Amino acid sequence: MNTRLKELLTNWRVITLVIFLIFALISIQPQIFGNDGVTIRSVEANSSAELAGLQNPSAKLTPLAKEKIISINGETVKTEDDYYRLTDNLKPNRTLRIETDDGFYNLITKETNGIVNVGLKVYPAPTSNMKKGLDLEGGTRVLLKPAEKISEDNLDLTISNLKERLNVYGLSDVVVRSASDLAGDDFILVEIAGVTEGEVKDLLAKQGKFEAKISNETVFFGGKKDITYVCRSADCSGINPQRGCSKIGDGYTCSFFFAITLSGEAADRQAQLTDKLTVLSEEGGSGYLSDDLILYLDDKEVDSLRIGAELKGRATTDIQISGSGSGIDQPDAVNDALQNMKRLQTIIITGSLPVKLEVVKMDTISPSLGKEFLSNIVLVGILAILSVVTVVLIRYRKIKIVMPMVFTIVSEMVLILGFASLVGWNLDLAAIAGIIIVAGTGVDHLIVITDEILKGEVISDWKKRIKNAMFIVFGAYLTTLAGMLPLWFAGAGLLKGFAFTTIVGISFGVLIARPAYAAIIELLLNE
Amino acid sequence: MKNKLKQIYEHKYKVLLIIPFLLLVLALVQIAVQTSITGDFVNKGISLKGGSTITIEDSSINIVELENVLREKFQNADFSVRTITSAGSVVGIAIDSDAQNSEQIDVLVSALKEEVDLEKLEYSVEVMGSSLGKSFFKQTFLALIIAFVLMGVVVLIYFRTIVPSMAVILAAFSDIVVTLAIFNLTGMKLSTAGIAAFLMLIGYSVDTDILLSSRLLKRKEGSVMHRVYGAMQTGLTMSTTTLVAIFVALIFVQSEVVKQIMIILFIGLLVDLVMTWIQNVGILRLYLERKKK
Repeated sequence: MNTRLKELLTNWRVITLVIFLIFALISIQPQIFGNDGVTIRSVEANSSAELAGLQNPSAKLTPLAKEKIISINGETVKTEDDYYRLTDNLKPNRTLRIETDDGFYNLITKETNGIVNVGLKVYPAPTSNMKKGLDLEGGTRVLLKPAEKISEDNLDLTISNLKERLNVYGLSDVVVRSASDLAGDDFILVEIAGVTEGEVKDLLAKQGKFEAKISNETVFFGGKKDITYVCRSADCSGINPQRGCSKIGDGYTCSFFFAITLSGEAADRQAQLTDKLTVLSEEGGSGYLSDDLILYLDDKEVDSLRIGAELKGRATTDIQISGSGSGIDQPDAVNDALQNMKRLQTIIITGSLPVKLEVVKMDTISPSLGKEFLSNIVLVGILAILSVVTVVLIRYRKIKIVMPMVFTIVSEMVLILGFASLVGWNLDLAAIAGIIIVAGTGVDHLIVITDEILKGEVISDWKKRIKNAMFIVFGAYLTTLAGMLPLWFAGAGLLKGFAFTTIVGISFGVLIARPAYAAIIELLLNE
Repeated sequence: MKNKLKQIYEHKYKVLLIIPFLLLVLALVQIAVQTSITGDFVNKGISLKGGSTITIEDSSINIVELENVLREKFQNADFSVRTITSAGSVVGIAIDSDAQNSEQIDVLVSALKEEVDLEKLEYSVEVMGSSLGKSFFKQTFLALIIAFVLMGVVVLIYFRTIVPSMAVILAAFSDIVVTLAIFNLTGMKLSTAGIAAFLMLIGYSVDTDILLSSRLLKRKEGSVMHRVYGAMQTGLTMSTTTLVAIFVALIFVQSEVVKQIMIILFIGLLVDLVMTWIQNVGILRLYLERKKK
């Protein structure tokens, strides 16, 4: 027995599976004993929390890495209720000492509109690094109203534009749909998982009219008609190396830049306009034109760019856009600048909305699948595995076969969840559907492998038996892959998520977990 | 009895082929009739065609109870009841339903009045459009067509013969179409998750068909029927485990959405038994006989 165990643990297929499992667990980091405290979802601008130095969590952070409040004024915060009990009914101009897993903050409470609000939005601390989607965690629901009556076509355009904007922003879990009340007024309803309300407001309500003007005449607008390409890679966008960051007053300012390519038409317009300008010569030798290229966002000036004398009357298509961001310290300013850059890029790519939108209502909504959903699904999953075990046990009557089977199926699920945590994929209905199919086809393939090995009948060669089994498994794998790939590329929303989880899951299964099962079975049954 | 069935299965396989093709034709007729009557090839639920949201500002409503009452009153409707929270406490509820025109909404509101005192409370009604773009179904169909073509190419390269490859694709296609028709007959309303369930059928269907084709075409031991039975033993174990697991899930799962996925899979796997062990076996045996001559 011991030699067999040794053989098992030195088999490279088994070792590969174990290594991948360890990586998956490291990436999920399940907090088996629960996780006390409340995690910060968002920090309101200019609130006492922000003034004390608390920051909006970056969307890139994994759920467990986000800042978590542990105690307030020395009292431990374990649940959301604790938090609201300790921050309710505060009086203005008092000190509130908040302890997070990053350090201590002293907040001075202040009154706005008669209410004392520290400016934090929190939620119960997550118990693993898995991100939950809108269906499972709920999110922010925003009702937007067009500032004026618009046609159905324009409403559709606004919706697809908003979707694109939110997608460029990196929010995959977004629902945007049209709505109307019984009086016939049009609205747009947006539901988003896990973002700060300020960000949403900024992005949704701004019309995003981007214009570049020379001597008050428009050279180009944001959108695909005038701008054919917007650079978003590191070599032609980011913090401007020439201007960099500088200390101004109490804080820092950093400037960003990115390159864009104009359409021929827009370049010609620029040539005509610059031709009228005069050259101002500077002491350094190289001169500038008498007027600047001024960038406007929603009719507000964001930046002005000096135009080199050599560009007078020339139709250049490559232009560098710049802007800036500020913050208390340098990293903060860099962050702000990059965020502004991303927003500007988004607006330039998607163009302006046909109409201005007003935020009518904004509230936090519970998940459509209910709170008990996840625990119920886990229970159902366990019962389903038990019933599979029963059927397999009746058929093969060997515990030696059933145990490795259960181990393999569970490993496959851990691998999928680990991968989802690693890439920050939202666990939603699509992912659950994907996991169901991976587990289902997983059992199918394990039965094929078992039957081929048991019923090798005339074939005495073990290698040949496994080869026969893997032939069928690979055939089914490649065919399913061929079926899912088009859905991944062409499908929208849910289908994309489903195809993605399925492809990732069956790939892990067929390439890592199922070969390990074959190796284990071979060792256990080969008397 | 058992011997007689075996006799029929082994010798009358050409006649038996009528069953799957008849099912396929009937299913196509059902879908055509459904389309001409309702204008849609399937009953679409709230997530596919939109509906309305009723928001009530009251923190004392028990949403689980309310949802159960509504579900009992409107058995074929699509509901979800959610809470709206502000600063950690519940301030109201939102009822999403597939009621789209004002008559349907009136019926719903009057039903709600029996449960909740709407006279005193503030409530608002908003009609929502579909969360999916207009091009969603077009895109999905196009993706499905490309998917079937790609699958055909892969199976063709894998087995290097045309007829068996087409048989695998035909079986997957028939499975989806017949399941869709049966789903329509149940009167249930399809959600976006339901679409995913139909796509999952591709995976399950392909598994048994590839198993069958591999055993029949790539192995030499025993007679053709011997290999069919060998494949069937494995295939039926596969289908049984899945069907039992789905059956158990159907009993215990609370979520309507997941229930729908399970029902579609259950129907689909039963249909797949016919498509694999009668349709695909029949076609492969015809093909092997022709090849012998």
